Amino acid sequence: MAEEKGYLALVLHAHLPFIKHPEYPDFLEEDWFYEAMVETYLPLLNVFENLTNEGTDFRLTMSLTPPLCNMMSDPLLIERFRHYLNQRVELSGKEIERTRGTEFEAVAKMYYDKFRRYQDLFENRYHCHILEGFKKFQDMGKLEIITCCATHGYLPLMVHKESVNAQIKIAVNDYRSRFGRSPRGIWLAECAYNPGDDKFLRDEGIRFFFTESHGVLHGTPRPKYGIYAPVYCPQTGVAAFARDMESAQQVWSAESGYPGDPRYREFYRDLGYDLDYDYIKPYLHSDGVRRNIGMKYYKITGKVPLNQKQPYNPHEAREVAAVHAGNFMFNRQKQIEYLSTLLDRKPLVVSMYDAELYGHWWYEGIDFLEYLFKKIYYDQSDIKLITPSEYLEKYPVNQTVQPSMSSWGDKGYHDVWLNSGNDWIYRHLIKAAERMMEMANQFPHADGLLRRALNQLARELLLMQSSDWAFLMTTGTAKEYSTKRTKDHIKRFNELYEQIKGNRINEAYVYDLEQKDSIFQQIDYNVYSSAAKDAVLKKYQ
Amino acid sequence: MTQNLSSSALVKPAVKDAQAEADIPASYGKTESYLLPKDPAWLFLFWEITAATIECIKSQYSADVLNAAKTIIRLYDVTGINYFDGTNAVQFYDMPVIFEARSWYINAPATGRSYVADLGYLTSDGRFILVARSNQTLLPPGKISDIIDDKWMIVEGDFQKLLKLSGADYIGLGASELMQVIGQRWKLTQLPSSGTPTSWSSFALHLEKPKQADEDIWLKADCEIIIYGSASKNATVSINGQIIELKEGKFSIRQHLPAGSVVDLPIKAQNAKGDKVRQINIKALREQGK
Repeated sequence: MAEEKGYLALVLHAHLPFIKHPEYPDFLEEDWFYEAMVETYLPLLNVFENLTNEGTDFRLTMSLTPPLCNMMSDPLLIERFRHYLNQRVELSGKEIERTRGTEFEAVAKMYYDKFRRYQDLFENRYHCHILEGFKKFQDMGKLEIITCCATHGYLPLMVHKESVNAQIKIAVNDYRSRFGRSPRGIWLAECAYNPGDDKFLRDEGIRFFFTESHGVLHGTPRPKYGIYAPVYCPQTGVAAFARDMESAQQVWSAESGYPGDPRYREFYRDLGYDLDYDYIKPYLHSDGVRRNIGMKYYKITGKVPLNQKQPYNPHEAREVAAVHAGNFMFNRQKQIEYLSTLLDRKPLVVSMYDAELYGHWWYEGIDFLEYLFKKIYYDQSDIKLITPSEYLEKYPVNQTVQPSMSSWGDKGYHDVWLNSGNDWIYRHLIKAAERMMEMANQFPHADGLLRRALNQLARELLLMQSSDWAFLMTTGTAKEYSTKRTKDHIKRFNELYEQIKGNRINEAYVYDLEQKDSIFQQIDYNVYSSAAKDAVLKKYQ
Repeated sequence: MTQNLSSSALVKPAVKDAQAEADIPASYGKTESYLLPKDPAWLFLFWEITAATIECIKSQYSADVLNAAKTIIRLYDVTGINYFDGTNAVQFYDMPVIFEARSWYINAPATGRSYVADLGYLTSDGRFILVARSNQTLLPPGKISDIIDDKWMIVEGDFQKLLKLSGADYIGLGASELMQVIGQRWKLTQLPSSGTPTSWSSFALHLEKPKQADEDIWLKADCEIIIYGSASKNATVSINGQIIELKEGKFSIRQHLPAGSVVDLPIKAQNAKGDKVRQINIKALREQGK
């Protein structure tokens, strides 16, 4: 086989905010997690299993954020997910009978087969711990799992570096406990990079992170290779890999983007609305309100009203995904071929996407990835899939460039997380960060109930710092929930803080919060001490 | 504002929990201010000034001096300065502000510079009385660097080609558009069945680059309206029919003004008995871009 002309790094960012409500038997926003499990995470693992079984080598980089890992390991959520999945198996089984001899027979069968397969993978192969699956492929060297800020905290808007330090250290510790080694890379939440924060990455042995294109393009000095090679941050030598917009566009643009193909599955026509109420009611939430249940029998069809959509044909849709995968690969080949005439080394194209877009949002995106992996492996030799770690091994010498502050949000900076609709939160987030630091400095050796209270104080701070809340306030979706979550954590934080300061800690209150906001069981509040931050920064003075 | 959908989301009664979690503090009893970066051109400053701080200043300066003074933000360019002591800034810029606003968006004079913001009084004879000093914040450059690394040289023409390929035209068209679409889908997942939308296009994303013909001239502008004021302590104040919470007799709201919109913002104050009303009408118009 001829030698490759360049490299493609596919990066999927898998994240959901920590949502767990043991205080309710049934909670709507928890569905985000169950839907993503059955539509994205398990289907991805299924692809990895298939590829491995048939001997197709592949490389993929995935961030599995600490909140997601915590949810994936939470006994209550696991139990609830098993129920969720079991219900889908049951319903799709009934649907095979109901649709027999109709034009929906094939799609009903598809759901049944998929749900059964995912149930088998989840319960029998991974023993209800989906992280086992991801770890397996990382250990095989095919998947590079990277971490993320502890609660997807938005680093450039954190004034106190103690908070930045804690977001990194807590994430890395969580990663180690789950994957048995240290993470080599990190996905900075929202790709939000603030110059100098790489010092905290370096201190944990993190070798690379990702930025939006202009994070590197606007770096100083000018990046010789544009975004087609990583750069090293000054002083720390942590590598920044920038996002390629051409391949992002290829998938998502309105005119030429793949997911809008009329033969793909229509998201908005869902059985939760279509089926007879008494028949579907057992599969709805306990309030009995009709909502999407994740089974859809129609294709996009075209620009027609929902009631004129045509039946979905799973076989046809898979064929389209194969064509799109071929088109994507062809375009990368052309891109890399052209780039290689401009660069004096093999170009690297970094394609970054939200993982949940594949499967949950673009249903056939999973098939697309499977075909893409196969085609790249069997059908050509121009491009080779690579992980950032492998690239850095091949090219250990890179230009030193100070990347620019940037994010992958709308307008490229912080507007999405800081605007008139959500700017009120920073008064509280920054005050809580300051108070956390004050407590950590005041009580370096706490034990017993005080220690538990301080650890819970840290959890409340971390949870209020999730960038998801500010994001949801801006998009206007789940605004009430995200506002309530922010306020709840602020309130809980300040109540705990007053209890600690007043030396009147209420054990029952602490216990209640430990159950609800149970993220990071192994947390140590000392990570917020100024001494911990200074220890990092003094290395660079 | 879009109607909130997740109110239906709490399957079990949310009311009890909402009551259990009372509202969050309005202030923290400490005079301080923080400066955050927003984008290459904008900073966000928020602050708290306690009554004790104002009293302390009043005890040092005569009422005449303070009454004649303007309240301002003094923005210092402190780029390259190791320790800013209040006097060694590269340059400073003054802008009027009212302390009661408690936060302000500041248009920075230059990108890629470091800033510190002071809040204070500017007396009629030009003295500055400091009330609160912020942290230091660095803004991003927002452009391709002019600095070329001589160990990593590239032919200029090739670099320009690379820039184009690297997506220099797409900068800022990040994932948020995508996320908006997803957000919509989350929302829909939770929508009760009545009124199932029929006109949702399945793929309504636009990740367009600026039109070719417009490349030699472009303009971006956005607008937010800030309305602030004060009223008698027991008055009920409403803006456009919506009751606004008074904090120590003061209020401020901020609203986005989208293109092609006319907003009517009648401000009304009513006394406790409900028999006296004062009203101020504010109207704003923003035309569509051409």
